[in-house]
Amino acid sequence: MRLAITDYTATSAAGTGLVELRKSLSARRSGLRKNDFDGCDLDTWIGRVAGVEDIELPSHLTGLQSRNNQLAWLGLQQDGLLDSVKALSDRVGAHRVGVIMGTSTSSIGRTEEAYSRLEESGRMHPDLRQPGVHHLHSPGMFVGAATGLKGPSITISTACSSSAKVFATASRWIRHGIVDAALVGGIDSLCLSILYGFNSLELISADPCKPFDRDRSGINIGEAAGYAIVTRDNLANDARLALLGYGESSDAHHMSHPHPEGKGASIAIQRALARANVAATSIDYVNLHGTASKANDRVETYALAELFESNTLVGSTKGWSGHTLGAAGILEAVIAIDTLRTNLIPGTLNRETDDPEFRFDVLSDNVEKRIEYSMSNSFGFGGNNVSLIFGRRP
Amino acid sequence: MNKVEVVGLGAWSPTFADWSALCTGLRSGEWSTDPALQPELIPTRERRRAPQLVKMAIEVMDQACKMANISPDDVAVIFSSAMGDMQITDYMCRALAKTPKLISPTKFHNSVHNAAPGYWSITTGSFAPATAVSAYEHTASMAFLEAAIQVVEERTPVVLVTQEVAAPLSLVDTCPSEQAFSAAILMTPPGFSGSEACTLAFSVTEGAEDWREPDPRLSPELANNFGARLLPLLTAIADGEQCAEFKFPITEFASLSLALSSGGATSA
Repeated sequence: MRLAITDYTATSAAGTGLVELRKSLSARRSGLRKNDFDGCDLDTWIGRVAGVEDIELPSHLTGLQSRNNQLAWLGLQQDGLLDSVKALSDRVGAHRVGVIMGTSTSSIGRTEEAYSRLEESGRMHPDLRQPGVHHLHSPGMFVGAATGLKGPSITISTACSSSAKVFATASRWIRHGIVDAALVGGIDSLCLSILYGFNSLELISADPCKPFDRDRSGINIGEAAGYAIVTRDNLANDARLALLGYGESSDAHHMSHPHPEGKGASIAIQRALARANVAATSIDYVNLHGTASKANDRVETYALAELFESNTLVGSTKGWSGHTLGAAGILEAVIAIDTLRTNLIPGTLNRETDDPEFRFDVLSDNVEKRIEYSMSNSFGFGGNNVSLIFGRRP
Repeated sequence: MNKVEVVGLGAWSPTFADWSALCTGLRSGEWSTDPALQPELIPTRERRRAPQLVKMAIEVMDQACKMANISPDDVAVIFSSAMGDMQITDYMCRALAKTPKLISPTKFHNSVHNAAPGYWSITTGSFAPATAVSAYEHTASMAFLEAAIQVVEERTPVVLVTQEVAAPLSLVDTCPSEQAFSAAILMTPPGFSGSEACTLAFSVTEGAEDWREPDPRLSPELANNFGARLLPLLTAIADGEQCAEFKFPITEFASLSLALSSGGATSA
């Protein structure tokens, strides 16, 4: 069943809102900067959204104060999203719109802060006990409270595929009829757990990340908030864009290494194609997971080579934004959706030299082309894979 | 009709080692004390290193699949917990406050909310879809709804895990969980497998019901465990009730309504 996408927006180091994002993509201007995140002295580059820590939450939301929710709030202000949510809610009823958010680490930055000054008793300082913050559903609770939506609300946390999964869940909820529409999205923000955690796995690069380059040396951590409104097709009015398919799979291989032949990735892509009833050769553009880690990029080309022909343009946009983890799914879904409108196919930033181990050609330069079908891939720790297909409504 | 069949169940807590021990305890009042948590699916060598949360989840999923005689690689997984692995969160936040560059890489990759479904996929060889969710205090009921919808819309068996470990003192103000609890419900579309414990019709109704009073037969420490909030349903199935209705809040505005029918005792 086809679902309409009536609105979408994304905020990351590559731009706050769609206008800035498009400008950065078109000018090939990276949002990455030398690590200057408060409290972290690692030698790396990061995709930090400037000024997040200074954003003031409205008074009814201050109990939910955290960097993650500040970023969520900044993201909600862009591209008229809150107005669109209100119009939809007025039309179908606030209880008929679900809230489905994805995150990897939720508001853990605030929990880290609380641990840095625990009381002698071992409990958190009363100022930081915030019951809406120190758990995984903080993004769902925050977006529900900020929008006034009253439908079923859930937060999905499957590492770096989290906010791609939200489209699959929204699709099932709408088909089933428990909601008419859903606000889906994802928010992940910079925090010490992630920076030092990926450092412990020796996966972060001391340089700007170089996805699909022979000399890639690891990832740059980024942050992002993104959203899309997904509705029953007959609620869409003149909206032109659609979610056509999704595919989910597990890797059955390792907690932090991808399947060596990309089998889980390939299964997710095939399931998405089958659901969309679209041939692989019809997919014009794939926004790859492309983290710039040695293993991910190599293995992702294996999955591509198995399924696609050379007419499909594929690239990674993480050179613009960094790896935004639990928000990567929505950020890159938004980029894949937006190519259907802008005809701008982003290439792969910082990619200079091809790797002889790759089995599929990856796009370096941007291309102008009107396309019919775009795909976005997201793969997470635990071997958790999602592939999404977007297209036009007739 | 929105119906699923429950074909397998699993349970683990410091007072019962498996589903049949839960059934026996409810009937006789005899409970275990700290039963071993040794899921057969995890190789002995790795069992010691695996986090408690992962072992609990794998144990109950395995129990449910065995009861239903369904191969794990045909089953989609929905793991639910409000907080995830609070022992690892506690470790990470303490380490970050002191020696951030010495964080354990294994603890870090185990900190993802989908660690349990990840281990399940690795240990069973399953490529089936797997997810991990939270809805804070509504996690168990919301995850049940997510699982039931997936069963109906994807026509696939789904194993739902609802669980919470005991909270460290630093997190009790967010999550008052006093005793670990994990349960698995394996559900299929009607007529999928031939064996069934009961059928559940489900729907969403307006208005948030209150949580039911805890069953006095069970350990009072489970009352504050968000993962144990479906216990009224589980005890009704364990007691072999033929017909029962439940309402569990899923948000502050709505509830999950469940109608159980034709249940048989499933302690076997």
